[in-house]
Amino acid sequence: MSSKQAKNKQLTKEEELLLQDFSRNVSTKSSALFYGNALIVSAIPIWLFWRIHQMDLYQSGILFAVGTIISTYLVALAYKNVKFVLKHKIALKREDAVSREMTKKFADDKKMTKKEKDERILWKKNEVADYEATTFSIFYNNALYLALLIVCSFYVLRSVGPTFNYLASVGLAAGLLALFSTSTK
Amino acid sequence: MAKTSTMLASLVVVLLPFAVLGSTCVSPDVKTETYTTTDGMASMDTVFVVEFSLKCQQKVENLNLYADINGRTVPATKTNKADNYQISFSEEHKNLPSGSYQVRLYDDEGYSALKKAQRSDSESQIKPVHTFHISHPGVWKGPLLQSEFVASMVAILVWYFAYTAKAKLQSN
Repeated sequence: MSSKQAKNKQLTKEEELLLQDFSRNVSTKSSALFYGNALIVSAIPIWLFWRIHQMDLYQSGILFAVGTIISTYLVALAYKNVKFVLKHKIALKREDAVSREMTKKFADDKKMTKKEKDERILWKKNEVADYEATTFSIFYNNALYLALLIVCSFYVLRSVGPTFNYLASVGLAAGLLALFSTSTK
Repeated sequence: MAKTSTMLASLVVVLLPFAVLGSTCVSPDVKTETYTTTDGMASMDTVFVVEFSLKCQQKVENLNLYADINGRTVPATKTNKADNYQISFSEEHKNLPSGSYQVRLYDDEGYSALKKAQRSDSESQIKPVHTFHISHPGVWKGPLLQSEFVASMVAILVWYFAYTAKAKLQSN
């Protein structure tokens, strides 16, 4: 145990960055962004079922709350999964551009060692890929979630009552979104 | 004798039109107000309602009127206002497309002549009391595209763009 801890302490900054780069964990900031966005997107069906499907906002309050919470969790999960898949691809795609730009930036800096420059480039690459993957994942999942929701509520479940329609379409849309997000392609 | 009969005959010839005119309406003054169904979403059938006032040159008591619209005859009902009549009929939307409909009004005599002509299947040349037109703008059958269809299409289109962008990012 102690040797393992000692080993952990010996990790260089570069190794830590690499670990962060390949881990599924997201930073607190990213997580807040994901859950905030997931909450907003999951709350949109409330409007649809309140105004279009004529459900009572107060009478179905508990149902809406439960549906929104479950959907928020699943949508945030989908955001994370898609981000993880996309991040490496984006990092590979943006690698050259980022290193070119950073090298140009550090060209005049004589004091900086090569190792430090490489670290900076790696860090920047990680940041760029992380940011792009986060925002793209939110966009992609929102688009898919809303498309699934509209098709489910208006076509697949058009003949059922609004209460069941809400639960089933939100559950289906969020569930399918989470399921699709686990695919690596 | 012959003179007397000639005189009588000429009297009949002179007076006959007045005797006939007593029960028919000459140069009527007709004012119409029409309603036709325009909302096909909320109604099953197209309804035509025409309310009209008919004033004859001379006083005609108990004038019964019948309307002939596209070969279909309906009796005109008297309303509680003097000289006011109403005709109404309904058909399925597809049987009453938009356009102008000619309405011919007949009195009792004209109506029976019309019926006779219809029975004998001959083209009727009976002169109606009055003719007017109903212009029907047609029924509105709802929007061409349902709003949920438009919403679905937009959502799917946005997702498609997102999907192609994602595929491009993931391609090597």
